[in-house]
Amino acid sequence: MIDIHEYLAEFDDIPGTRVYTAQRARAGYHLNQFAMSLMKAENRERFRADERAYLEQWPMTEDQKQAVLVRDYNRLLDLGGNIYFLAKVFASDGLSFVQAVSTMTGMTVDEYQKMMLDGGRSPEGLRSTKEGN
Amino acid sequence: MAQITAGIACSHIPVLGFAHDQDKEGDPLFKPAFDGFRWTREWIRAEGRPDVVVLVYNDHASAFDMDIVPTFAIGCAETFPICDEGYGPRPVPEVVGHPDLAWHIAQSLILDEFDMTILNRLEVDHGLTVPLSMMYGRVDEWPVRVIPLAVNVVTYPPPSGNRCWMLGEAIARAVASFGEDLNVHVWGTGGMSHQLQGPRAGLINREWDNMFLDRLIGDTQDLRHVPHIEYLRETGSEGIEMVMWLIMRGALGRKTRCLHRHYHVPVSNTALGHLVLTPVDGTVPPSPTLEGNRAAPGH
Repeated sequence: MIDIHEYLAEFDDIPGTRVYTAQRARAGYHLNQFAMSLMKAENRERFRADERAYLEQWPMTEDQKQAVLVRDYNRLLDLGGNIYFLAKVFASDGLSFVQAVSTMTGMTVDEYQKMMLDGGRSPEGLRSTKEGN
Repeated sequence: MAQITAGIACSHIPVLGFAHDQDKEGDPLFKPAFDGFRWTREWIRAEGRPDVVVLVYNDHASAFDMDIVPTFAIGCAETFPICDEGYGPRPVPEVVGHPDLAWHIAQSLILDEFDMTILNRLEVDHGLTVPLSMMYGRVDEWPVRVIPLAVNVVTYPPPSGNRCWMLGEAIARAVASFGEDLNVHVWGTGGMSHQLQGPRAGLINREWDNMFLDRLIGDTQDLRHVPHIEYLRETGSEGIEMVMWLIMRGALGRKTRCLHRHYHVPVSNTALGHLVLTPVDGTVPPSPTLEGNRAAPGH
């Protein structure tokens, strides 16, 4: 039988990874629904016209609003954002997945793209923080 | 009687849909990815020719938002419009369903103790349309009816690999009990190494991916016991999508043969995997509820 606490604890042991657990889904509900609203062109226009005013319509935390305003995607993941929902934000900015995702890695877009063309990031050393492998 | 004759596994990478729609299949960046589907496109028109595909995929915050998160949902509608994911709907034909078979599968699965969500209205995103473009190329209408089967692999926990395999077996029982003669395929889509988020984004593990492909072929059932954490550690956070391939594999029964295999890195952020399998021994265990209860002592 699965121990839910052990199951969840393991996800925190993957370097550089935020798993969209129930806890994050709960914290990020309004953030993700805000992002989802950007699926509609009229909402994208309203968001672009005044980002702060648009965000005020959602019962999000101030931290979440700030992280959206500065497009800090790692912070947004920590605050309960989900990458498929956050994609609506960077699509509104006209960014591709590769362009947006690279901003979370500390690499430039060009460096990130080159890494992918060279076969991607090796899992070597990135499987477990605890085990260091 | 309806019969499952093949299973197809295929990544559903959005950029492949874009490259297909923009006539960029010959572009040096995309050519190696598309070349691996040439065999399948010929085979599916000549020999494969499914009447219906049960297409297992995941919605990417398109039809479903965080208000409703079904673990397993089945599309029972007549047609499924193409979703606007923010760049306008893909210029591909509307997807036509098979409501009679879909409702038959839905009711069979529920009696088999799978709590399916029934969808009578569903817009389908790249998760479903990219595999169709990969197999059929450019068409005026899809030459096949499609039953969308959406799996939650976004909000944790997703279903276990074992549960997915069992769902596949239950689909096989449901299809086999449908009265009409139909050639049915089950496709499992998504997957292979990819991580779209966080500092570890861009993870690719060729070795693990190929081990996974190897074990879909033949009679081993090892994969049903791979825990979620292993997919995540080894193949990245979105590698978890591979559990959807196990629904396809479970539906093919005891033993499979591989007709075609294709693996390529990278496409955008991900590894691309594709397999065409046929059942060698399509036997699946009897229903633990319907048939099992009937055989129980004192019943």
